[in-house]
Amino acid sequence: MKSPERSVSTAENDLLSPFQSGRLAARYPLVKDHLASLAESELVRAGHLLSRVDPAEVLRHHPATPTVSVAVTGHGTFSSLLPHLTAEIARHGVLLRPFFSNYDSYVFELSDPGSPLYRTGADLTLCLLDPMLVLDDLPVPWTPADVDQALTARIGVIERLVEVFEATSAGTLVLNTLPLPWRFSAQLVDYRSKADLGIGWRRANTRLLQLMTDHPQVVVVDLDPVVADGVPVTDARLSTYAKAHLSPLLLARYAREIGHLARAATGRSKKCLVVDLDGTLWGGVLGDDGVEGIDVGGSYRGEAFQVFQGVVKQLGSQGVLVAAVSKNERDLVHRAFQERAEMVLRDEDLARIVASWSPKHEMLAELAATLNLGLDSFVFVDDSAYECGLVRRELPMVTTIQVGEDPAGHTEAVLRDGWFGLRELTAEDRTRGEKYRQEIERKNFLDNFDSLGDYLRELKVTVRLAGVGEPEISRVSQLTLRTNQFNMTTRRLQRSDVRSLLSEPGTDVLAIHAADRFGDHGLVGAVFLRRTDRDLYIDNFLLSCRVFSRGIEQGCLAAILDHAREATMEAVHGFYRPSARNGLVEDFYTRNGFVRVGEEGPVAIFRNDLLRPLDRPEHLTLHEEFGKEAP
Amino acid sequence: MTTVEEFVALVRDELGLPISADDIESSFDEIPGWDSVHLLWLLSILEQRTGRSVSLPDVLEASSLRGIYALTVA
Repeated sequence: MKSPERSVSTAENDLLSPFQSGRLAARYPLVKDHLASLAESELVRAGHLLSRVDPAEVLRHHPATPTVSVAVTGHGTFSSLLPHLTAEIARHGVLLRPFFSNYDSYVFELSDPGSPLYRTGADLTLCLLDPMLVLDDLPVPWTPADVDQALTARIGVIERLVEVFEATSAGTLVLNTLPLPWRFSAQLVDYRSKADLGIGWRRANTRLLQLMTDHPQVVVVDLDPVVADGVPVTDARLSTYAKAHLSPLLLARYAREIGHLARAATGRSKKCLVVDLDGTLWGGVLGDDGVEGIDVGGSYRGEAFQVFQGVVKQLGSQGVLVAAVSKNERDLVHRAFQERAEMVLRDEDLARIVASWSPKHEMLAELAATLNLGLDSFVFVDDSAYECGLVRRELPMVTTIQVGEDPAGHTEAVLRDGWFGLRELTAEDRTRGEKYRQEIERKNFLDNFDSLGDYLRELKVTVRLAGVGEPEISRVSQLTLRTNQFNMTTRRLQRSDVRSLLSEPGTDVLAIHAADRFGDHGLVGAVFLRRTDRDLYIDNFLLSCRVFSRGIEQGCLAAILDHAREATMEAVHGFYRPSARNGLVEDFYTRNGFVRVGEEGPVAIFRNDLLRPLDRPEHLTLHEEFGKEAP
Repeated sequence: MTTVEEFVALVRDELGLPISADDIESSFDEIPGWDSVHLLWLLSILEQRTGRSVSLPDVLEASSLRGIYALTVA
């Protein structure tokens, strides 16, 4: 029996006392790290307190806090989702601005374009579906055919709601599959009927999942794998008496998925998985046991490490950069990858191996510089409590995962938090690892030249600046979400936002493609333009960090200015809105022929009167195909 | 946890509601910041702490913290 006198833990007190004294909003930036230290069971407790803090109050104290607005509707009672949602979103350093509609109101809220829910204009709209949505409609007694009929009717309603949503809102609608509760299947006594029930039920869930194919604004969270992991679908008492049909544990896991979506929507997805070697990717200590002595394949533990290597490789194939940092002799590490054929993860799967005797936090900083990525996009995995503790203390922006001694647990530890979750994978993601490896070859190539100019000439950079086509919309949206450094105004855009900019008169989106002698970079940047009769406005200009400082940005800007001059415009205007990460481009416009003419709030405004052209870097070959409104 | 004071302290700490022993007789409508979500959360905490199952329909019918106290602790 649990102790009835269990004292409130220190961790809870850390939020409770500032909450009670009204200082929690002021201390909000500390909340993320605090939540990272909590066990899962303590998270919802913290969520209860955090959900009672007014987001406006937090923003008054900390105006730069990233926020996500989430409107929630659904079947039955879903208000107990709020504390889960608040905590799971706060874990990513994002502030939730919630709107909860009334009990069981989803059909009304989503079918009426003027409903309070639509008026919130939320980034994410959650429509929480539960199995009772169908099962409540059944006659008593019921047959599998009755269930099938009720499912068909309900899913038909949901499909129509999706259409209204798409016609009304620019945000994202999140639906979920319906888990089948055992207590319904168990009411059928014969296996033939149980099978019929299962077939109809799965057909309905398939229809829900298929909504994602035709409706770019819809995300369907598949709850089946969550439930299969041992999370109960319902709590019989809460479902019966409080009409809260999904169990608190399932709500917590659902909220975690929403946290990942919120993180992706605010451009905070992780980009790089950095793994330790000894004890993490293989068993034993390479320095002591030698290349032949480390444990990979060929034994129980060795096979478990192979499985984990396969998971790392799997992530790497989907655009996650994989790198290794290890306290080891460099040559020995390379020999281990080359000589041990049992390795599932190979040299070529790793964007970079950093092996030295420096402290791990220094190796991580070096890696970030080499890959030109922020440390906040790193997930670091190590089996050593010492190394994990050191990295947490020295580099709190790095997400640190300590794996245990048993390699069978490594996979779950790394995947549990969906750190690399994305709305959608683009063609760029599949080849990202290869592109970064090319980049490292370029850096080695650079070392052979006396000057950067010589290097750039030999690099043979070609750039294509052209209007965005339908197949590129996903990649452009992704760039706005992922690019932090060269992002002049940090406007995050979903696919639907990009699409409407393309279709509206007076606005245009140009894509920047780049290639050089080492390979094709793909679509690496975008320029968002708006024009009136005499003026061209560059609402945003962004470029992937992989291709900075090669004249690409200057070349594209020169092309835009030339284009405006040819169209006899009077001036081109640019904007810079400071963020935590884009200090690098603060003077981009003033370095390139613009004059700062004023500001609107935090946004600096620049102007170029088109009196003289901007030099195009001579090493660059530029192909321009201006967009739909080119003269 | 057996006394009213301990019960009140638990509600204060778990829910962050600034209540005192005087509020225990008040109807839920009169407690500032009270929400029906709190009731379900409080029930789950009380069941964990006491190791006893509490009747949810009775809890839902209770109109004050005194009623909850009587069902779960006394």
